[in-house]
Amino acid sequence: MEQQSDEEVELREDEEDEEEDSDKDDQDLDKMFGAWLGELDKLTQSLDDGRPMRQKAPLRQETNMANFSYRFSIYNINEALNQGDNVDLDALMADLCSIEQELGSDPKPGGGGGGTRSGQSDAKVRQKPPAGRSSRHHVRAPSGHHGKAALNSNYSLDDITAQLEKVCVCVCLCLSVSVCVCFAPKLNSNPVMRSIVHSSRSSISSASGVSVNSASSMDSLDSVLHSEGGAPQISEHSYLDTHTSLILRNIEGKPPHLLTQEEQAAKLKADNIRVALEKIKEAQVKKLVIRVHLSDESSKTMMVDERQTVRQVLDSLLDKSHCGFSSDWSLVETINELQMERIFEDHENLVENLLNWTRDSQNRLMFTERVEKYAVFKNPQNYLLGRKETCEMAERNKEALLEECFGGGSVSVPEMEGLLWLKEDGKKSWKKRYFLLRASGIYYVPKGKAKASRDLVCFLQLDHVNVYLGQDYKNKYKAPTDYCMVLKHPQIQKKSQYIKYLCCDDVRSLQQWINSIRIAKYGKQLYINFQEATRRSEAAYDWSSLSSSSIKSGSSSSSLPESQSNHSDSGVSEMTSSSHARSQSVVSSIFSDAWRRGTQGEVTHTTHTHTVCFMCLLSTVNDP
Amino acid sequence: MAAWDLSIILEDLGPDTPPITLSVSSDLHVGGVIIKLVEKTQMKRDWSDYALWWEQKQQWLLRTAWTLEKYGIHADARLLFIPQHKPLKLGLPSGMTLKVWASFSSPVFQAVMTICRILNIRHPEELSLLRPLEEKKKKKDKDKVGEIYDLTGVLSTSSSPVSLYNDVPAHFADSAEMEAIYKMLSVTQTQPAPEIITKQYRPSSVVDKAHINGRWLDSSRCLRQQGVQENDLLWLRFKYYSFCDIEPKYDAVRLTQLYEQARWAILLEDIDCTEEEMMLFGALQYHIGKVSQSEPERMSTNAAMENLESALQSLEVKMEGGSSSASDMLDTMMAPELSDYLKIFRPKKLTLKGYKQYWFKFQDTSISYFKSKEESVGEPIQQINLKGGEVAPDVNVASQKFLIRLLIPSPEGMNEVYLRCENEQQYAHWMAGCLLASKGKSLADSSFQSEIQSIRSFLAVQKTNSGSSSHTLASDESMNTHSLVSPRYHKKYKPKQLTPRILEAYQNISQLSMTDAMMRFLQTWQALPDFGISYVVVRFKGSRKDEVLGIASNRLIRIDLGVGDVVKTWRYNNMKQWNVNWDIRQVAIEFEGNVNVAFSCVTADCKIVHEFIGGYIFMSTRSREKSGTLNEELFHKLTGGHEAL
Repeated sequence: MEQQSDEEVELREDEEDEEEDSDKDDQDLDKMFGAWLGELDKLTQSLDDGRPMRQKAPLRQETNMANFSYRFSIYNINEALNQGDNVDLDALMADLCSIEQELGSDPKPGGGGGGTRSGQSDAKVRQKPPAGRSSRHHVRAPSGHHGKAALNSNYSLDDITAQLEKVCVCVCLCLSVSVCVCFAPKLNSNPVMRSIVHSSRSSISSASGVSVNSASSMDSLDSVLHSEGGAPQISEHSYLDTHTSLILRNIEGKPPHLLTQEEQAAKLKADNIRVALEKIKEAQVKKLVIRVHLSDESSKTMMVDERQTVRQVLDSLLDKSHCGFSSDWSLVETINELQMERIFEDHENLVENLLNWTRDSQNRLMFTERVEKYAVFKNPQNYLLGRKETCEMAERNKEALLEECFGGGSVSVPEMEGLLWLKEDGKKSWKKRYFLLRASGIYYVPKGKAKASRDLVCFLQLDHVNVYLGQDYKNKYKAPTDYCMVLKHPQIQKKSQYIKYLCCDDVRSLQQWINSIRIAKYGKQLYINFQEATRRSEAAYDWSSLSSSSIKSGSSSSSLPESQSNHSDSGVSEMTSSSHARSQSVVSSIFSDAWRRGTQGEVTHTTHTHTVCFMCLLSTVNDP
Repeated sequence: MAAWDLSIILEDLGPDTPPITLSVSSDLHVGGVIIKLVEKTQMKRDWSDYALWWEQKQQWLLRTAWTLEKYGIHADARLLFIPQHKPLKLGLPSGMTLKVWASFSSPVFQAVMTICRILNIRHPEELSLLRPLEEKKKKKDKDKVGEIYDLTGVLSTSSSPVSLYNDVPAHFADSAEMEAIYKMLSVTQTQPAPEIITKQYRPSSVVDKAHINGRWLDSSRCLRQQGVQENDLLWLRFKYYSFCDIEPKYDAVRLTQLYEQARWAILLEDIDCTEEEMMLFGALQYHIGKVSQSEPERMSTNAAMENLESALQSLEVKMEGGSSSASDMLDTMMAPELSDYLKIFRPKKLTLKGYKQYWFKFQDTSISYFKSKEESVGEPIQQINLKGGEVAPDVNVASQKFLIRLLIPSPEGMNEVYLRCENEQQYAHWMAGCLLASKGKSLADSSFQSEIQSIRSFLAVQKTNSGSSSHTLASDESMNTHSLVSPRYHKKYKPKQLTPRILEAYQNISQLSMTDAMMRFLQTWQALPDFGISYVVVRFKGSRKDEVLGIASNRLIRIDLGVGDVVKTWRYNNMKQWNVNWDIRQVAIEFEGNVNVAFSCVTADCKIVHEFIGGYIFMSTRSREKSGTLNEELFHKLTGGHEAL
């Protein structure tokens, strides 16, 4: 298996050589690939002992899927795997690199998050379903020691290794499945784990030999590990040997200039550990491999981190695909089972939304242009002035109107009201009611009453629901027209009485309703999103007009090029590639770990979902 | 030039004193007349504030350089020599009555500016003076007259921005009493008793509301010209519903008074809202009332001090550096444990089992339950993640019912789960935990304790409401929920029915600070569809029936008086020009696209309508300028009409 994968990488190397002749840094990267592949052998040797420490299969599934932080869609992955084109490991690698680099270039002065890290991870571990098995050994709360140095010196090797382990697990799982889970396996007395850490360490150090850039995140980690490496291997059970920690305790409170050389060294060591832990913490961000479908039926695999907003993901998609920089580009969630879709708002967190999908979900994420996304702001007169005929308006007046509606302290919700069809619960019949939209929610006029505010009945409040566009409901639900909207909690994925279906008479009023509900729900944020999107598209336009030649050559074949996210063919890569070398080295070690896990999964035949999925990935890599 | 006798009345000498007669000639200027007059009285006093008032013409003779001839004054003119500034009783939105010095000679616009400067209210252009409603004098007046706070001792400082001294304007900082009055201005009043709300005048129709707008004073004329006498009562109100940059730091009084005006508008059904909105308003009022009573010190702390404090805090954090990790970790370790026996019920599952008792345990944002405490180390029977779910209380203290209704989202839909607690104490803890968890926070969150507190204090309200016999609780907690909502809901709900509804709305806002809660109240008020519309009954040219014109900050609305439907909306953006034909008292407006509208006003003078429209246009020019100075000239240009020029 290693052999095969070895070839696979070799092959890629060649491809890259053809593509990127000029890019020396990338060639270095490729060398590193070779380097870490060498590590694989060592790793797999130790794997055979690793069987007993696999995690148990998760508890029985709950109706409430939100309990588990690792929900994902196997469907999408499988689909990706079954498609003719290979899973684009290159693209993923590049994503990994850039993410890693982001983390590295985000230095936190003072560091000092080490303890926090442990504390948090402990919390995370505790929330895992097999609560009984959670690794409590993890944190030794030094509640008695408030001295910084003493505190840090108390971290055992186990702690550090556990952290490291988690980083690896984390990132590698990202590769294999949609969601990564930071689980901390018991490794107190487990020789395998130690060897893993050793090997990953060595891979890092070997990588650092190649890496030219210093002062990077991983270098600091590296130096920590080196300093440890200098110490004899007996000190495995406590990161700092007793001697060092003793020194640290002694120097507590001493002014720096009074420290002896030994003491200073000890302090440095402690500081380094802290920095390393900080970096590890950063690296533990949840990441998700997503499959984005394009309008030409192709798709693109990319990696997003849990902190990214829809806007950020859109930006990186736009950067890669040279499809122009219109602010209309959107990420659209389609829920096939319910035949509905929704444009994600730019400020929303993408991962959070995707985690609402069930594991067998057939939902899709589309990357496509949608004029309705910001139509409200492009032609405000059609949405904000009540529901009269469509009309033209001078730009100047549009701006004034937007400023009037969104510029002040409070946002005025468009006065939407009118007869809509409401689907009755559980039936395929639709009833007409007079609905009104207010900032506080959607109301309807009860039978036999006038539409005075005090008599209105609250249909629903908007805090917990999103508005979706229903598709082909004439067929599906016998709707009076095909202009339907749906209101539901984002987590609901199946038919439910808690989903509300409304049907409008024409497409215009449907769009007015949907957009007005968005305004009522998001208020000023929507306008900020729009301004941000326009600002970006304008900036991008300026830039692209400067270097239009390169863009044209890149996008000549199709407006939506296939997933070649690894090396962008524009000028941007010139600036960033120098740092790739460094980050790639890290990724390599992570990758090696991923391989290890995959193989292990195969060997031990655990039913753990992560492993299963990873095997899928493996199999595609193996089948040419 | 021939000299003639001019007689001038000096009111200060008493009503029966005969007028002082001066021998003047027509080319004598007004200043000269005053000098002569003062000499003749032989009184040594400060006459600087005195000026001549021409009774017949209802006009001040303020241009001392003008000659009598230029003014057109002859021997038959009845002139009074009187002070320009006189005390005025001022009713504030909060219901407080103040006595202040006001200029009776300068335009109301300026008089309001001066008053606002004294009260430390920024953006005086948004306010104006309103003649109060004539109250039905059924009851004896004496018990109705509240305390009047005398501010006549306070003289406004120069036109420079008010300097704050210890968060109180310098001119209020002289004495403890003054400072106390300022505090009253800047802190909301306690909730009125329900009876007071019911007793107050409530406009019952659009026409009623339109009548109120006929009472605004004319901004371009002075108080005396409009028949206002010394010590008369006038209301100071926000007139233009376009509030420029509210900054709680500087706007303590402005924000408070605006909140009060909004609150009364809601309570007196001056503006219509839905039941859900009313409950939110009620909850916000309850919260604001409670916070303002419990932490008045925090309101008054100096902003600079606060900055310093936060700076110190952040410094502390920095200092801790490495060990902050330790404290964070401690926090996590010390996260309150919450586990207990509770009863659970799932209404949607088709079982007849009813409530079943389990051992419940809070973990992060989830609740797990076990058969018993002993088995809680193993696998839970079920784990419920509350994040993103809805939490609603169902509490009746009298019948000892403490229910938490949970609506938990899942891919299949929402799952309903009820948790039943044994007692108040238990309920407060679990409810607080559920609320935090639904927002994605764990028990370690700093707001956990305060959340528990606010739930308990609200339960206390319900307790007093249900058990009327017990008066043991402190006055601030025995508040009647009827005083939080408009009289309509007094009839619809009993207090004990109302409390759970308000409680439900309350849980979402219970953690807001006082200013945030006030801002939230104002935002919610501003988001009401009918917000900021001033009504006037008008008759459109060519129409035979009265209609209502709604004037808002950005548009004019033609409303059918019978049905109440909006007939037509015109926006100021499209307005080309508007003018008033003062002879036939008709307002004519021309909009883009050759739309011409003309109407005469029924319930208000056309000057008031004219001023509203011009005023709003003035308000919209403010934001563009962004300069601190108020363009008074522009205001008069836009609102004065030809009459003023």
